[in-house]
Amino acid sequence: MAGISTMQLLEGYLKVNTDRQQMITSNMANIDTPGYHTKDMNFQAAMQQVAYEGNTAQVGPASFEPASMEVAGLPERPDGNNVNIDRESLLLSQTQLQYQMGVQLIKSQFHTLLTAIKEGS
Amino acid sequence: MGLFDMMNISASALSAERQRAEVTSANLANAETTHTDAGGPYVRKQVVFSATSGSPFRTVFNGIGRAAHPTGSVQLTQVVDDTAPPVKRYEPGNPDADSTGYVEYPAINPVTEMVDLMGSVRAYQLNASAVTAAKQMIQESIDILKS
Repeated sequence: MAGISTMQLLEGYLKVNTDRQQMITSNMANIDTPGYHTKDMNFQAAMQQVAYEGNTAQVGPASFEPASMEVAGLPERPDGNNVNIDRESLLLSQTQLQYQMGVQLIKSQFHTLLTAIKEGS
Repeated sequence: MGLFDMMNISASALSAERQRAEVTSANLANAETTHTDAGGPYVRKQVVFSATSGSPFRTVFNGIGRAAHPTGSVQLTQVVDDTAPPVKRYEPGNPDADSTGYVEYPAINPVTEMVDLMGSVRAYQLNASAVTAAKQMIQESIDILKS
């Protein structure tokens, strides 16, 4: 974590949240598709990947590729679909708030930079 | 372009659910139709949904221009006819009655159709709220530009 800047990390955080939100959205879109299984990502592993890639300074968060995996342990409907509306709604709100937090942190970073510039004059 | 793909996925679901509601409404409207252009009573229609998948995220994301259907969106692939045999009612005076006086009516249960309609409306609402969430996220990232 030594070489990666806060801004890079926050950028990666937003990217991971966006990709997760997309998975949740696609789960919601396929709520009536027979045989569809809920997909999600390992948030911790994705964040570690972002932090690591930022550290090597070769590839930034832009090259991040989400590892989509099926969620185990969800009860399946008779048509083979196992999308749980409550789970997806909850995760949608949660991810949205996490994204909002990331944006606020980035704004505060810029604000800090602006303060540094202004105090110098 | 994750945020805009999110909206496209939700839009595909909105479109699919709306078409499902349309087909269900047509079934309800034609629950008593005994005469069609094709001959015989109206046949109940059902929609088939399928998820678009297969190509990895990377391929779709790096594709030239905008992919018409991002991975994970839903599509209405076909509308199929219900195979249930028509219901026969004895109505000798009906112009559509056969030689024995029976009229073939479509095998449509209004309760089934109403439940199907409610299901599609709820799914539409769910995806509409996902669109709202995506819009708010886009708006927030635009707000980074503001002081």
